[in-house]
Amino acid sequence: MIEAQALSKRYGRKTAVDTVSFTVQPGRVTGFLGPNGAGKSTTMRMIMGLDNPTGGRVTVNGRPYAAHKAPLHEVGALLDAKAVHTRRSAYNHLRAMAATHGIPNRRVNDVIELTGLGPVARKRVGGFSLGMGQRLGIAVALLGDPHTVILDEPVNGLDPEGVQWVRHLARDLAGEGRTVFLSSHLMSEMALTADHLIVIGRGRIIADAPIQSIIDAQSTARVRVRAERPQDLLGALAGDGVTSQVLEPELVEISGVEARRVAEVALRERVLVYELTPLQLSLEGAYMQLTRGEVEYESRSLSNTSTLASTEGR
Amino acid sequence: MTAPTATSSIPTTPTTRAEAGSGITFGRVLRSEWIKVTTVPSTVILIVITLVVMIGLAAVVAWSLGLAADAAPPGAAFAVPSSGLAFGQLLIASLAVVLVASEWGTGMIRSTMVAVPGRTQALVAKAAVIAAISFVVGFVSALGSYFVTQPILDAQGLGFALGEEGVFLSVVNTGTFLALVALISMATGTLLRNTAGGIVTVVGVFFVLPVVLQTLAGLADWVADVGRFLPGEAGQQMVAVSTTDGALSPLEGGLTMAAWAVGLQVIALVVTKKRDV
Repeated sequence: MIEAQALSKRYGRKTAVDTVSFTVQPGRVTGFLGPNGAGKSTTMRMIMGLDNPTGGRVTVNGRPYAAHKAPLHEVGALLDAKAVHTRRSAYNHLRAMAATHGIPNRRVNDVIELTGLGPVARKRVGGFSLGMGQRLGIAVALLGDPHTVILDEPVNGLDPEGVQWVRHLARDLAGEGRTVFLSSHLMSEMALTADHLIVIGRGRIIADAPIQSIIDAQSTARVRVRAERPQDLLGALAGDGVTSQVLEPELVEISGVEARRVAEVALRERVLVYELTPLQLSLEGAYMQLTRGEVEYESRSLSNTSTLASTEGR
Repeated sequence: MTAPTATSSIPTTPTTRAEAGSGITFGRVLRSEWIKVTTVPSTVILIVITLVVMIGLAAVVAWSLGLAADAAPPGAAFAVPSSGLAFGQLLIASLAVVLVASEWGTGMIRSTMVAVPGRTQALVAKAAVIAAISFVVGFVSALGSYFVTQPILDAQGLGFALGEEGVFLSVVNTGTFLALVALISMATGTLLRNTAGGIVTVVGVFFVLPVVLQTLAGLADWVADVGRFLPGEAGQQMVAVSTTDGALSPLEGGLTMAAWAVGLQVIALVVTKKRDV
């Protein structure tokens, strides 16, 4: 379990992470989603004790990371696949990491096998592809068989097979009751892997909720309508929560109303309708809407967030 | 680990967990640092070069001393085994800077700090490993130099026994000197986090600054005094078999250099503890 309380990080006048509070629960995959530069990596580095918070605190399994006697058994992290001496072999890198905790070589061989590094384990890391580097980073993260696994953009540079493998790995680890915290800037990736999402934008938490409820909260029904006299139709539909946008003289997009209701009103008003398409807001769309909101209507999005956050997690 | 949380009924203790008692100990961190230092090619290459150059230079100096045996000042032969000291100093200083600065340069330091988040143990262990290797390199090359040069010196009647006063101590202190050189260089590399900058700095402190101060020594007495207490200059007194008047004794020189080494290591440690990596 990871608990952040009012965690902040400022670099000079720039605030990278702005008083964020969240809890990452064990037994499920929690996605940490945000555009590049939103503060994901900085937050993860603070969790792992690499960066000192400017304010607030963060604990892992009840204590600050550095306060654990055997930190690699508590938390395994892939923060930066390049955090390896380029002239050392993958095997020796793992052996050096393992040695700090008295982890036997047997486990080193296990994680090499698990991550499919076998054929390149004795080669220098400098020559690794991005994908192989990611696999080595994941091998290091799993070395201590940790309760909590933190992976920063783990699928970056992986081939499709590797991407699937990471998804299964994350799900399996969560299935074993571990805490899995996974960052990405790709919503589609999160949709396939995560159970729960923490969305961050400009250093602030925008949403913290189960993945489905984020989609639901963001996607009000929308319908695209082509009709001969759209104004008559809109006039008849006008009511609470219904908004519309005229795109072309005979093309409108109506929000806050179901397609069936539009059809009923059109029939009653005798308006000729020649297209009626329900628009589903995808997770990607929900994400865009969330992060756009963060930029344009900062305070409003934040108040939405707190209701989301507080209804969840019980 | 911690008590099970309300939200998870699933066991949070993974099955293949390492047995209790595992975790960070200084001995284990030392072992990790040993693996790290010995598994990059630059270490082996620089150590071999250091040994070859130091022993080779001693042989050359012994041979040239033999050519002019009559003109040689008394006691000159004692300095022969440590002839290559300056080169050893240069190479060990580079090695120490490379070993630590390359961790920052490659990003390895983040892996190190995640594995040993207290940081102190990692830095102390690294210092210990680098110092120990440097000591052995210095000791072995001085001893090797002694045995290589004795046949050459004996031929000219200049040979001397290892048991003569100060000789064996000089051999041991060649190691001590290089160990302290390594500690000073490693601290510099840690503070600067940059290989090129680190090497330039230690070369400046060990080789350029003494020459500059010597040039300026005529200006004021204190300039010469400062020069004597520079780390390299003070440390070299440890290796001297016979010292001249006014110079630091081997013990004083050694303590002066050790103070530099400890001081810089402490600064490097304090800075690194606070630094974001």
